[in-house]
Amino acid sequence: MITSIAWKNVWRNKTRSLTVIAAVTIGVFAGVFSMAAINSSVVQRINAAVNEELSHIQVNNNDFRSSSDIRDLISNPDEVISVLEKTNGVTGVTGRIIVRGIASTSAGSTGVEITGIDTGKEQQMFTIDRKLIPGTGSYFGSDTKFNTAFIGEKLAKELNIIRYILSTEALSGLETKGVPSSVIEKLRPLEGQRFTTEKKFSAAYSELISEREKKRYGLTIKETAWSYREGSRIILTFLDLNNNQTGAAFRISGIYRTNNDLFESLTVFVPASELRQLTGIGEGQYHRLIARLENDDLTDGVTPVIREALPEYEVMNWKEIQPDLAMIADYINQIYAVFMVLILAALAFGIVNTMLMAVLERTRELGMLAAIGMNRRRVFMMIMLESIFLSFVGGVAGMAVSGIVIAITGRTGINLVKYSEGMEAFGYSAHLYPVIGAEFFVTLTVLIVITGIVSAIYPARKALKLNPVEALRGE
Amino acid sequence: MKVVEINDVSKTYHDTEVEVKAVNGVTLSFEKGDFAVVVGPSGSGKTTLLNLIGGLDQPTGGEIIVAGHRLSELRPSELIDFRMEHVGFVFQSYNLIPVLTAAENVGFIMNLQKWPKEKRKARTDELMQSVGLADRHNSRPSQLSGGQQQRVAVARALAPRPEFILADEPTANLDSKSAETLLDIMEKLNREEQMTFIFSTHDIRVMKRARRVITLEDGRVISDERTNGDE
Repeated sequence: MITSIAWKNVWRNKTRSLTVIAAVTIGVFAGVFSMAAINSSVVQRINAAVNEELSHIQVNNNDFRSSSDIRDLISNPDEVISVLEKTNGVTGVTGRIIVRGIASTSAGSTGVEITGIDTGKEQQMFTIDRKLIPGTGSYFGSDTKFNTAFIGEKLAKELNIIRYILSTEALSGLETKGVPSSVIEKLRPLEGQRFTTEKKFSAAYSELISEREKKRYGLTIKETAWSYREGSRIILTFLDLNNNQTGAAFRISGIYRTNNDLFESLTVFVPASELRQLTGIGEGQYHRLIARLENDDLTDGVTPVIREALPEYEVMNWKEIQPDLAMIADYINQIYAVFMVLILAALAFGIVNTMLMAVLERTRELGMLAAIGMNRRRVFMMIMLESIFLSFVGGVAGMAVSGIVIAITGRTGINLVKYSEGMEAFGYSAHLYPVIGAEFFVTLTVLIVITGIVSAIYPARKALKLNPVEALRGE
Repeated sequence: MKVVEINDVSKTYHDTEVEVKAVNGVTLSFEKGDFAVVVGPSGSGKTTLLNLIGGLDQPTGGEIIVAGHRLSELRPSELIDFRMEHVGFVFQSYNLIPVLTAAENVGFIMNLQKWPKEKRKARTDELMQSVGLADRHNSRPSQLSGGQQQRVAVARALAPRPEFILADEPTANLDSKSAETLLDIMEKLNREEQMTFIFSTHDIRVMKRARRVITLEDGRVISDERTNGDE
């Protein structure tokens, strides 16, 4: 009966209640959606780190990570592989040879980490092969005549392997990509010119078009002018097992693009067999053995098992290798909660105000209820339920709207390409696909109910303080 | 059988340094089945006396005993339960719960008292019939006339079979036809259910129907007359 009255009371002043419900709906939606967007960024970064860069668990020679010495190989790789393969939850194991060196072309040189991989196994455990930029070749072709390397776009730019040419075809292609013909005409003077760096190309076309046009079409122009000559080569120089400098020309089999500029500029993949030949590292020898797990949730449980089985090696999971990422992942839920509490606290003031008005308007009625025998507990419960209903209806509506918008944008993505340079420098994607766990909605529901309860306390206390005789006089 | 005993009861208010004796040394008692009115000019203490009898207010002196309960000994929370169990209230402004239907209003106190649903429904139907509103079960108060709302209020007060009904100016807001109908109903219920009614009123129509007229002046009882009522 009290519940029924409380629900009906909510709808006595529809305009007022709907206003509060709308405020709660918008507040909850804003909070949930922005958190889903932030969360997507973190989830995408973690997925990229695990699937493209680190996998779940790595085993190194104890000294290798600090020394990077080519001689710090895993002493008994077969035993380690056997332990890893037998560990519950492990779905794949691969080894890597890792040497520090210099990549150079006629245009420049830069320090890199040359990673020798078993290409077939890597394809099963990592997704970097799927990051190949179309038109730049392949992951690793079948051509064994030359040494081959799979390099990142950032490194390719640094070594001037990528050029910018606005060919006649590129210019006409701009129109199909939505660039107005007036802008294309302004770019006509650059037709056929070759630019060795992105910076030089940007400077050249920026002089021809307005700032607004640059902001709107700059990325499309750069992407269209992007040019790479298949089969370009780089020279990789490094030390062999005897500490003698060695190196070779590597034909670029393909160029990959990730959201992590640092990884792209630093990591050069080559077949392990080619690196063995050049360094003298024997067959079956590795610097690092990597284990892939069934799913990420197993990471914390499996790591100590492997660590115990391999006490003479350094065993680390991705969270330990990239603690910043792990920290964000661990604290993201707490950040959500704090963020949501702040939003709900702001909304609570609106609910308190509404409930206070409702109580003051119903002074006579509350006096009558007390007079005919409705005790303090029931009066308190009635006011509290009204407040909970108000916040709950708004909260559910807000969560429903959030769910729908997250489902849509989770498929279509949110394009933050304007900020791509900054975001990708830190390894985050400029395309967000909002996502949020179901457990968050459960937490939020609890928080909304608590908001309703807390918001009701002051108005309910006001109601309880009413003297029935005075209240019945209707003052 | 005595339903209410009032022994030398006083109620003094201290408003803005002025001491007001709203009720001053009143001694009265009401028997089961009484149909009594408390009359007097404005400020004579009628409403205060009814509030004291109903346990809505506490006397500053004297003693009120209702159904064996000394009201001065009850704590505030016990007074609320006392009112729910023993007193039926009818207010001048009807004071129905606007979000409930007429039938739900009638059943409200029985609901608080946790009557079984079937019993509650039977009593509600019986009373809605008695007050002539059998066809208005599902009407909200806003869909009823003033007279009809007051009849619902009487049915609500009567529903849990209290010791007595306190009606504070029940006809004050009603036209004469509605007032007569309401009084007919209350008389009938008084007769049929042996329900004790205590009114405060200025209304001559109520006074004419009463079988006992208590006159207050300056908080004191100046007369207490039993009549045959105007039937």
